[in-house]
Amino acid sequence: MWHIAKRELYDNLNSLRFALATVLLLALMLTNAVLYLREHPKRTQAYHNAAADAVKTLESRSTNLYSLATGGPGDLHKSPSPLRFCAEGDEAFLPTRASGANYGQRIANMPPVWRLFYPQETPNLRNIRPDFTTLDWAFIIGYVLSFVALLFTFDSISGELERGTLRLTLANPIPRHIVLVGKFLGAFISINIPFAVAVLMNLLLISSSDAVQLNAEAWGRLGILYGIIILYTCLFIALGLLISAAVRESGVSLVVLLLIWVSFVIFIPNTLASIGSCTAVPIAYMEFWTQRMQLADEARAAYRNKYGDSQATPSVHVLGEYVTTEAEEYERFNEAYLKQQIAQGKRARAITRISPTAIVQRLFESFAGTGFERHLQFIENVQRYAREYREFVVDTDRADPASLHVVGIREGMSQKPVSPEAIPKFKDTLSLNRDFNTAAADLLLLVLFLTVLASGAYLAFVQLEI
Amino acid sequence: MITTLIGRELLNNLMTFRFAAALFITLLLVVANTVVLIKDYEQRLESYNASVKTHHQEIREKQTYSAGEVEVDRPPNPLSIFNVGLDKRLGNEIWISHNYVPTLWEARMNASDNPYLNILSSIDIVFIFEVVLSLMALLFAYDALAGEREQGTLRLVLTHPIRRGHILLAKYISAMLCLLVPLLLSLLFALILLTTTTSISLEADDFLRIGGIVLTSIAYLSVFYLIGLLISAVTQRTGTALMLAMFVWGALVLVYPNLILAAIRSSDIPQAKAVSTFNQIKQVWDEFDRERKQYLATDDFPGEDPTFNINGMGFFYEHFPEDPLTLLYFYYSMMTFGELDEKFEREVPHAQNYFRFLIPSTIKTAERAWLLRKQALEDTLVRKSNMKRTLLKLSPVGMYDAATQAWAGTDLKGVRDFFNAVRQYRQTVIDYLDSKNAFASRKWFAADEGAVDWSTLPAFSFKRSGIETNAKRALPDLLLLLTVNLLLFMIIFLIFIKSEV
Repeated sequence: MWHIAKRELYDNLNSLRFALATVLLLALMLTNAVLYLREHPKRTQAYHNAAADAVKTLESRSTNLYSLATGGPGDLHKSPSPLRFCAEGDEAFLPTRASGANYGQRIANMPPVWRLFYPQETPNLRNIRPDFTTLDWAFIIGYVLSFVALLFTFDSISGELERGTLRLTLANPIPRHIVLVGKFLGAFISINIPFAVAVLMNLLLISSSDAVQLNAEAWGRLGILYGIIILYTCLFIALGLLISAAVRESGVSLVVLLLIWVSFVIFIPNTLASIGSCTAVPIAYMEFWTQRMQLADEARAAYRNKYGDSQATPSVHVLGEYVTTEAEEYERFNEAYLKQQIAQGKRARAITRISPTAIVQRLFESFAGTGFERHLQFIENVQRYAREYREFVVDTDRADPASLHVVGIREGMSQKPVSPEAIPKFKDTLSLNRDFNTAAADLLLLVLFLTVLASGAYLAFVQLEI
Repeated sequence: MITTLIGRELLNNLMTFRFAAALFITLLLVVANTVVLIKDYEQRLESYNASVKTHHQEIREKQTYSAGEVEVDRPPNPLSIFNVGLDKRLGNEIWISHNYVPTLWEARMNASDNPYLNILSSIDIVFIFEVVLSLMALLFAYDALAGEREQGTLRLVLTHPIRRGHILLAKYISAMLCLLVPLLLSLLFALILLTTTTSISLEADDFLRIGGIVLTSIAYLSVFYLIGLLISAVTQRTGTALMLAMFVWGALVLVYPNLILAAIRSSDIPQAKAVSTFNQIKQVWDEFDRERKQYLATDDFPGEDPTFNINGMGFFYEHFPEDPLTLLYFYYSMMTFGELDEKFEREVPHAQNYFRFLIPSTIKTAERAWLLRKQALEDTLVRKSNMKRTLLKLSPVGMYDAATQAWAGTDLKGVRDFFNAVRQYRQTVIDYLDSKNAFASRKWFAADEGAVDWSTLPAFSFKRSGIETNAKRALPDLLLLLTVNLLLFMIIFLIFIKSEV
C-alpha cells in the first residue's frame, strides 16, 4: 500500500499541477495574511476605543441610580474575532453593536426608561464598489482547494485504465481496496504538502507580527479548523476517485467532476439560500418602525384615558409602572422583530446544507468566531447583560431603606451615588463549548458525506472491470 | 473545403459528452435561477409600488409647505435579472428637500433589509455564463490542437492542400457554434420565463439591451475558447494543456477578481481630501448661519430666537446633520403648526419675513456646498471605486461584467442617472414652491387658514436612459473584449503556422 501511495506521490510531485497548485495556494494564503495584518489592528483599535467610550458614558451616570435606570448601559459593542482571517463570515454586513438607550416618547414630561435596540445597519447601502467575496480561508479552502483536489484525482483511476498501467498493477497479488487506499493516500499527501506549506507561511506571518496575539484557545480553534480542512479535502478526493472509477474515461470524468463542483460549490449555496429566504419573510423595517410608533402611541393614549391629562400629577407608583411597562413592551417588540429576521436567516442557511462547501463555510464561521452564529451569541450576551444590569439597579435600590423602590422615577429611587466600579460592564465572550454544540450537526453531516462518497469510491473500484 | 472541415469539427464536438453536459447544466442553472430572480424582482417591485403609494399619500397629508418634503422611489430594473450590478444594493428611497442636494449616499432602502441575509449573494444569469460557459469553452478548446497532434490526425489533415489558417478558422467556428447552443437556448428559456411573467413589462429597448448582453456574452465565450486554443497550441500533450487550462481558469475567474478587490480594499477614501472639503462645506454653512443670526439680530424683533416665541399645536426644529464620510452637512430647519393661537398673531409677519429671507438663502448655500461636495465625492468615493473596476478589467471576467452591467443599466452610471433625475426634480419642486410664493407665505409654517393643496405639484417620474446611452457605456468594454479576441487569434495563428507537426 505504501508502495502505491509513494508511487502516486512521486508522480504528482513532478507534475505541472503540483507546481501550479503550490503557487496558487501560496499566493492566496500570503495575501490573506498580509491583508489580515493590515486590517485587524485597525478593527481592534476601533473596538477598544468604542468600548472605552461606552464605559466612560456609563460611569458618568453613576452620580445617581436614577440616571442609570433611565439612561441605560448605552452602546454594547461586539468584539472582533482574532481568527477573522479564517472566515470573514458576513461580518462586514452584520451590525457591530446593540444599544441600551432611552430613545422614546416622553409622557407627562418624564424621560422614558432605557430599552434594548438592535440597530439596523446596512453598511453596504453606500458601497458603490464592485462586488467581491472575501479572501479568507473559507474561500481558499471551499473554492480553490476543492478545485485543486478534483484536478489531482480526476484521472487517478481512469487515466491508468486508459494507459493500461492499472491492469499491470492489479496483476500483482494486492487486494483492490489496498490499491484504492494507496491512491487515496497518495493524492491526499500530495495535496496537503503545498497546502500545509501555504498554511504554515500564513500562520508564521500572522504569529510573528506584534499587532496580533493569538492565545491558546485561538490555536486550539485553528487545530479544529485544520481537522475540518482535512475532512473536506478527503471528501473531494473520494468524489474524484468515485467519478474516476465510475466513468473510465478521464476526459469525461473531468467534465462530470467540474459540473458537480460548479453546482455544489458555487451555485447550490447561493441559489438555495435565495429560495430558502423567500419563505416567511419578516415585515419590512419601515413597516416595523410604523408599528412600533403605533404601539407607543397606543400606550400613551391608554395612559391618558386612565389618568387624565398631564395637568394632574398621578402618584409615583402609577408613573413608575407606566414607564417600566412601556419600556418592556417596546423592547419585547424589538426582540420579536429580531427573532423574525434571525429565523429567516436561519432558514436560508439551513437549506444550503446539501452542499459540503456551505457546511464548511458554516463550520469555519462557528470556530473562527465570526458570522451569523457568532452574532447570535453576541445577542445572547447582550440580553444576559441587560438582565444583569436591571437586577443591579433593582438590588442597589433595594439596599437603600430611604428609597420608595419605584424604578424609573426620580423621586421613587435611591438618591445615593453609585460606585462606578460596582456597575456591571458588558463583556462579549465566546464559548468554545457552545460553538461545538452548534457545529456538531454540521460536522456529523460532513462525516456522513465523506462516508457515502468513500464507500461509493470503494464499490466503484472493486466492481471495475479492466 | 473549409465547410467540410467545419462540418467534421462540428460533428466531433456535438457528439461529445461535454456538449451534452454543458447544455444540461447551463439550462438547469439558468432556468432555476431565473425563476428565483423573477420572484425576487417581483418582491422588489411590490415593495416599490407600495412605497410609491405611501409617499404619494404622505405628501398630500402634509398641511404646511415646510413639512412637504417629498420622498421619491427608485424602481427596480427588470434587466437586473441578467446582471444585478448595483441595482439591488444601493438605496432606493430618498427624500427631497430644499435644504440639501441629494446624492445616492443619502438614499435609504425600503425593503429586503434583513441584515442576516446580506451574505447570501444573489446569482444572476451573467454570473452563470461567467462561470459555467467559460469553463466549457476551455474544455472544448484544450485538446483541439494538442489532441490531434497526439493522435497524429493533424499530420494527416495537413497532408491535404489546406491552409493552416483555414484549419484554425474551421476549429474556431465549429466550437463557437457548439458553445452558442447552450448560451442561446438557455437565454431563450429565460426570455420565455420573463415574457410570460405579467408583472415584468419589457420595453422595445430592453430587447435591444438583451441583444447587447448576448453579443457581449459571445465575445466573452470566444476569449475563453481562444485562451484554451492558445494553450493547446503551445503544449505538446493534452494532459498538460488541460492542467494549464484549468489553472488559468481558476486564476482568471476564481482568484484574480477576489484577490485584486481584497488587496486594495483597505486603501479607502483619501482622508485628507475628504476632511478638508468637509471643513470647507462647514465654513459655507457657518457663513450662512452667521448671516442668519445677523438677520435675527437686526430685525425689529428682540433677541435671536427664530421661533419668535410662537407656540401652539406644532413644533420648531433646527439641526445640522453631518456625516464626514460622505461629506454631508447642511442646515435643516422646520416650523410647522396645525393651529396657531390668537395671541401669537402679531409674531406671524416676523416669521414670514424671516422665512422669506431664510429659504432662498438656504437654497443658495445648499447649491454652493453642493459644488464643493460634488467634486470631492467624484475625487474620493467615485474615483476609488472606478479604479477597482479598471483593475478588475485585467481579467476578461471584469470586462464582461462591466459591459453587461452597462447594457442592463445596473452599473454605477445607470444608478446615478436616477439620482441626477432626483436632483432635477428637486429643482422642479423648488421652482413650483417659488411660483406659489410659498417661502414667504403663511402656509409655509401654519395651516390654520387651510392646508396646502398639493394636487398641482408636478409628479416625479424616472425613465431609464435610452439604448444609445447604454450602448455608449458598454461599447468600450465590448471593444476591449473584441480586441483581446483578435490579439489572441493572431498569436495562435502565428504559433500554429510556425509549429512543427
